[in-house]
Amino acid sequence: MTLQDCYAALGGNYADVSARLHSDRLVQKFLLKYLDDPSFQQLCTAMEEKDYELAFRAAHTIKGVCQNLSFTQLLDSSSQLSDALRHGWTPEADPLLERVKADQMTVTAAIQSFREESEG
Amino acid sequence: MQNKIYRFLVGSLVVICAVCVTVFGVLASYLNRENEQAISQIGNIYMASMNDRISKHFETMTDHRLEQMETLTKTIPPAYRTGKESLAEWLEYNGQARGFDSVSYCHADGSLEIIYGEEIRPYSSTTLLNAIENGQNIVAVGYNGEGEQVILACVSVSVDVPGMEDCIGLVGELPISAIADSLYLEDEDALIYSFIIRKDGSFVVRNSDAVRSNYFDRVRAIYDDLDGQTPEEYITELEAAMQSGSDYSTMIQFNGERRHMYCSSLPNSVWYLVTLMPYGALNESVETLGTRSLTAAMGSCAVILVILLFVFLRYFAMNRTQMKELEEARQMAEEASRSKSEFLSNMSHDIRTPMNAIVGMTAIATTHIDDPQQVRNCLKKITLSSKHLLGLINDVLDMSKIESGKMALNVELVSLREVMDSIVNIVQPQVRAKHQKFNISIYDISSENVHCDSVRLNQILLNLLSNAIKFTPEGGSIQVVLHEERSPKGDGYVRIRIQVQDTGIGMSEEFQAHIFESFTREDNKRVHRIEGTGLGMAITKYIVDAMDGEITLSSRLGEGSEFQVVLDLERAEERAEDMILPDWNMLVVDDDRQLCESTVDSLKSIGIRADWVLDGESAVRTVTQHHNRHADYHVILLDWKLPDMDGIQTARALRAQLGDDVPILLMSAYDWTEIEEEARAAGISGFLMKPLFRSTLYYGLLPYANEEETQSKKKEDDTPSFCNKRLLVAEDNELNWEIAYELLQEIGLKLEWAENGQICVDMLRRSEPGYYDGILMDIRMPVMNGYEATDAIRAMDRPDASLPIIAMTADAYSEDIKRCLEHGMNAHVAKPIDLKEVVRVLKRYLGD
Repeated sequence: MTLQDCYAALGGNYADVSARLHSDRLVQKFLLKYLDDPSFQQLCTAMEEKDYELAFRAAHTIKGVCQNLSFTQLLDSSSQLSDALRHGWTPEADPLLERVKADQMTVTAAIQSFREESEG
Repeated sequence: MQNKIYRFLVGSLVVICAVCVTVFGVLASYLNRENEQAISQIGNIYMASMNDRISKHFETMTDHRLEQMETLTKTIPPAYRTGKESLAEWLEYNGQARGFDSVSYCHADGSLEIIYGEEIRPYSSTTLLNAIENGQNIVAVGYNGEGEQVILACVSVSVDVPGMEDCIGLVGELPISAIADSLYLEDEDALIYSFIIRKDGSFVVRNSDAVRSNYFDRVRAIYDDLDGQTPEEYITELEAAMQSGSDYSTMIQFNGERRHMYCSSLPNSVWYLVTLMPYGALNESVETLGTRSLTAAMGSCAVILVILLFVFLRYFAMNRTQMKELEEARQMAEEASRSKSEFLSNMSHDIRTPMNAIVGMTAIATTHIDDPQQVRNCLKKITLSSKHLLGLINDVLDMSKIESGKMALNVELVSLREVMDSIVNIVQPQVRAKHQKFNISIYDISSENVHCDSVRLNQILLNLLSNAIKFTPEGGSIQVVLHEERSPKGDGYVRIRIQVQDTGIGMSEEFQAHIFESFTREDNKRVHRIEGTGLGMAITKYIVDAMDGEITLSSRLGEGSEFQVVLDLERAEERAEDMILPDWNMLVVDDDRQLCESTVDSLKSIGIRADWVLDGESAVRTVTQHHNRHADYHVILLDWKLPDMDGIQTARALRAQLGDDVPILLMSAYDWTEIEEEARAAGISGFLMKPLFRSTLYYGLLPYANEEETQSKKKEDDTPSFCNKRLLVAEDNELNWEIAYELLQEIGLKLEWAENGQICVDMLRRSEPGYYDGILMDIRMPVMNGYEATDAIRAMDRPDASLPIIAMTADAYSEDIKRCLEHGMNAHVAKPIDLKEVVRVLKRYLGD
């Protein structure tokens, strides 16, 4: 599985990210690092605890990371979620959270299978 | 609706008029009747008193006569009481002395015995006898021997004289004039005339007009009907009144003239006095009064009506105006709501199209998930559609911001050259795709750097240009012209005039009037297939207005359009660097004379002398002349699109003359990648992108000033070095930090990481002043966010408290950018971290 395939699978824009980061080495490095990023967990916890300010920041951070890594699909849902939480909870937040979760699943699944292939 | 009101108004006017006329008419006729009644009452009173007076007069006169007659018998001296002869002597003497024409005895059998004078004959012996027998004294009518009418004064007496036992009364004769004088019978001047009748209607005393001997006959003959009463009815009424002894009063008419009649019984007789007065005499004055009051009433009615009419007309006119205004307002509101709903439906349609593409392409991509080529193709189309969709949504968002008054300008230092270059870069692919001719010229631009909102300026130009491209068919031409003029705002400002011309489909006059309104899009078949929100021009207009500028438009259907934007922009400080090139001779070749002159001026200002020619042939000729004089031009600037002989052909000809030494530069607004190979082969040394600002010329020509310098400079441009510059990066997310670190350390920056705002502030506080050269600041961070951290840093009491702070955030809303700047940050870069963008900003703030 190539980086391009991985990006296609996780709903990202490989051309964009490789143009910005210049080398596949860096792309791969940060891609794998994404699995350790705590923001998503923070988001889920904050939403459960109804700490919407923290949830907003977490969503916003995910958005920032996605911009940097060109995770287009997750970027879309997370930025919508962060907009929905910008001024506290709104009714759209819950369905958007579900979308973010789904997109996060897609991303992590794609990265994991990429890691397995490249390591194994 | 208007008709209804009109009908109502006219209807009520008519009704009010009718009511007015009726009320005044009724009032007038009522008054008239009252007048008539008053006249008849006055007449009654007058006549009654008149009759009374006449009666009294009559009574006085008759009483006097009757008394005289009585006195005759009562005052007989005893000497004459001796016999009939002596009595007659006394009576004759005294009778004559009292003016009686004759005196007679009245015997108990009713026969009259004359004492002296002519023999008389009473009109009715029975009446006379009855009265005398009853002891009454009366006057009656009789006839003398000549048949003339005379008055008889009859008294009942008993004469105490022998031989006169059967004498029961005396009758004295008087001329008719004795009573006629007391009546107004013949007086021409008097209003009133009277006559005396008996109960049966026969005249006792009459005026000369009355030819008939009976009044009733006269009534029957000459009186007209009046108020439904026939003459016969008068007679009946009159007879009844005479019978009962009461007075009778009525109105009669003959010969078309009204008269008042009054009848009462006369004393000392069995006669009745009838008095007549012409109605007209009394009526005339009252009638005049009536006429006057009627006229006055009608006059005031007319005045009221006129005023009413005026008020109505006025009200009507006002109402009409109001209705018209209302109608206009309604139409405008309807228009607005229609264009909004039209807009909505258009928008929905426009949104659906790319949305469908996205959904469809996604489905296709999903089914071909194993075919990367297909998927890539799909993604490309999805990207295109998404961008289009985003453009639409951006427009709508802009418009809603404008409509809610929330659009703010973000004024900053702008290089017009950069703006124009980026615009040219953006539109080049579209122009190429539609095979349109594109040219961009600038004239006399002295101030390249101005203060302006670059994003919005870009938006204006892009809107105008993309419209021009959109509505110009293939092969058409589009031209952008920039002028600089003196600004009326003063020396600190320049007036920039931007013209965008095209040879497109143009616009109808009607549409030109509405083009700058929201939600309008010319709706006909010509433009039906060209999509867009219809908001572009409204947004453009609003931005231009917000910049205190002006946008005008001239267009002819089918011939093309020209938009002109005039902006007064604040002049920025010119950069200190001297833009001076070696003392060269240059040749400028362009078919636009004004552009040539302007370019030559610009060249002069950077120290280069230049000539210009308008076409390829002249260029070759001039260059040859110079070559022959061994005074070659140092550099030649050629326009690509020249008439007859284009830039590449000219270059080829020039190279043949000059050899390879002289640099020949091709200038063009087109993307030259496609022709680059051909051009290079023809001997073109390099390219200059239009528009030709002074700095464009300077930086374009600089490489040829020093060939070696060029080589190194080019490297420098790609990867500028920030050796030994130290940046503090405040970023809460490790991954983001690492990416920033990886990217920025490549260009020689030293970087340190602060995990939130508080740590960032602490690290700066602990450091030596000047240790950090700048800070990259994320905005959303736990503990302390970017705004607060910036506030804290700016408030520090240390020499480097004003070090450059560059915001770095995932939100690129202009409000956020504004807020960053308000909190004292120097600039803003949007995530994702783009090396080029960061370098551009860093260069500005970390420059040596």
